[in-house]
Amino acid sequence: MIDIEKLKNHFKDFKKSGLANSQSIKNRTDAFERFCQKGIPTLKQEHWKYSPLSKDLAQFENLKFTVNQDKYFDAVNYEKFDHYQIVLKDGVLISENIKENGLEITQYKKDNFYEIEKNQILDFNNAFFTSGYEIKVDKNYQVKKPIVIYNYFSKDFEGNNINNKNFIFLDINSKVEIFEKNIFDEENLIFFTKNLDIELKQDASLIKYYLNSTNKNKTIYNFIRSKLEKNSQFEKFNFSHNVSSCRDEIIADLNGEHAFVSLNNIQHLSQKCFHEIKWEINHNEENTKSSQFVKSALHDDSVSAFQGKIFVESKAQKTDGYQLSRALLLSDQSKFLSKPELEIYADDVKCSHGSSSGSIDKDSIFYLRSRGINEVDAKKMMIEGFLAEVINKIKNEKIRSIFFNKLNEINNS
Amino acid sequence: MINIKNLAVSVEDKEIIKNLNLEINSGEVHAIMGPNGSGKSTLSYALSGKDGYEAKGEINYNGENILDLNTEERAQKGIFLAFQYPIEIPGVFTNNFLRTSVNAVKKSKGEKEINAVEFLSLVKEKSQKLKIDKEMLSRPLNVGFSGGEKKRNEILQMSLLEPNFVIMDETDSGLDIDALKVVSNGVNAMRSPKRSFLIITHYQRLLNYIKPDYVHVFANGKIVQSGDWKLALELENDGYAKFLN
Repeated sequence: MIDIEKLKNHFKDFKKSGLANSQSIKNRTDAFERFCQKGIPTLKQEHWKYSPLSKDLAQFENLKFTVNQDKYFDAVNYEKFDHYQIVLKDGVLISENIKENGLEITQYKKDNFYEIEKNQILDFNNAFFTSGYEIKVDKNYQVKKPIVIYNYFSKDFEGNNINNKNFIFLDINSKVEIFEKNIFDEENLIFFTKNLDIELKQDASLIKYYLNSTNKNKTIYNFIRSKLEKNSQFEKFNFSHNVSSCRDEIIADLNGEHAFVSLNNIQHLSQKCFHEIKWEINHNEENTKSSQFVKSALHDDSVSAFQGKIFVESKAQKTDGYQLSRALLLSDQSKFLSKPELEIYADDVKCSHGSSSGSIDKDSIFYLRSRGINEVDAKKMMIEGFLAEVINKIKNEKIRSIFFNKLNEINNS
Repeated sequence: MINIKNLAVSVEDKEIIKNLNLEINSGEVHAIMGPNGSGKSTLSYALSGKDGYEAKGEINYNGENILDLNTEERAQKGIFLAFQYPIEIPGVFTNNFLRTSVNAVKKSKGEKEINAVEFLSLVKEKSQKLKIDKEMLSRPLNVGFSGGEKKRNEILQMSLLEPNFVIMDETDSGLDIDALKVVSNGVNAMRSPKRSFLIITHYQRLLNYIKPDYVHVFANGKIVQSGDWKLALELENDGYAKFLN
């Protein structure tokens, strides 16, 4: 378990280390004190009920904060299509700033933290973060090529904890697509917290893809807070494959009419992998729309947890909220934990939710086998088909093929 | 081609088919007609080797007893079941499935697998004959297909796999007259001295379009009467009542 007393000394060292800029020291100190008061998340706390975090943090008796000064990143990792690059090595932005046309990419500069009462890991991130990226797109500018964010975890990193903050701001009627991927080259123990704030002004459109693939001994906490104004859109596609422990938490505030958020996740897990989703969609205005679509294929004793909430304010009439989570249990030991929530205070809304889990349909397997396809391949086709329903919603052909290739690769390995 | 001897089939310890004997020679078309619950679909599943269908006796196919072969091995040897209710599989695309299936059968025979370009031209030719829309092939397998589209898709699979022995399980159910004609024409085009058919149906209607060499009445898990195609006409007039006790 993380020793709070030891952590207090770490925080003193951290403040002196230069990792924290001087203007933010007070905010960081406040956040750290809140974290100490709230303590480590436990399974008894509703907000962390299914979370692997509470158990995982027991491994981190001593948290070690360092910054890797080495800026090397092998070009072989770059995607082969034309794109803007953001590279974070062990949590630190190492790529050059970009400023062209209506796009600006710099180091994270914001300094106004917020608190979420139940979320002490956000307090922890607020206290210990190092700066990640900041993406800003000007009014009426539609970014021509995708931005790719490489989150690289190197083998020469000497610490075991990385926390960073990032910010995406899309001004009125701007548009961008962002593909983020994690690259791990060592099996060292890492506790990684990432906070991303997203602000979408009127008519802005953000599509974000995230490939979180194959890691061992990593505890990852992704927290996204997004605010959507009138007629803006945020679509997100996540593909998590064999992540040892990960919680993807998103709060989306639909604050303007016709704002739309669509969250889509695939989990393909085996062995002892644990992936958790905690989503909260707040319909705060009339005529807003949301969609949550989650599919998990679970081998061995892997676990996937889904907690998705649709909250509808009393004034948010004509809300359209959709939620579906489905899991394929591919072994007797695998688990799918699902807690769909609807909290509705308006009376003229359309909200639906569904959740199911089960093994592969035997009749479908028989059908495929009756066409000469052997049982192993038939099962692979079924798993692929099950997960492909999410990938097929991706309109960007390049990204769709990256996701499909990943699916093929893992299904045939 | 097929010689079934003393076949008994149980599902969950309940004997559904009892002491069935049936010989189908190359090029012959046999029809099995019978009332609901007589075990017709059980026979089709037992012939295809579906799990959970415990079969005893012999199913000799080209001289080999295939009882110990699993479903895909039987399919690879040229046994094809056209399903009464083709299964909908979301996420598995029809085109992809068809090519995987054709290549699985080719591979088992040691033949060269067919590439995507060759396959597309082959499937185009076959699907045009069955009036199958190209767009249908790019959709998930059987998902949202009408009854007619599902059955045409079954016949398309049959024409691509070119099996030796075809079992058609109530292919006429859910078909309107136009679709029935298209499907029957597809089947008739496949008739050859080297290929045999076992057509399972309730009604004589399908047999107007696909004329069988022999008709068997199936009741209470066994064949109770056999004859030529005229037997189907008698059944249409008299019903099955006299065979049930």
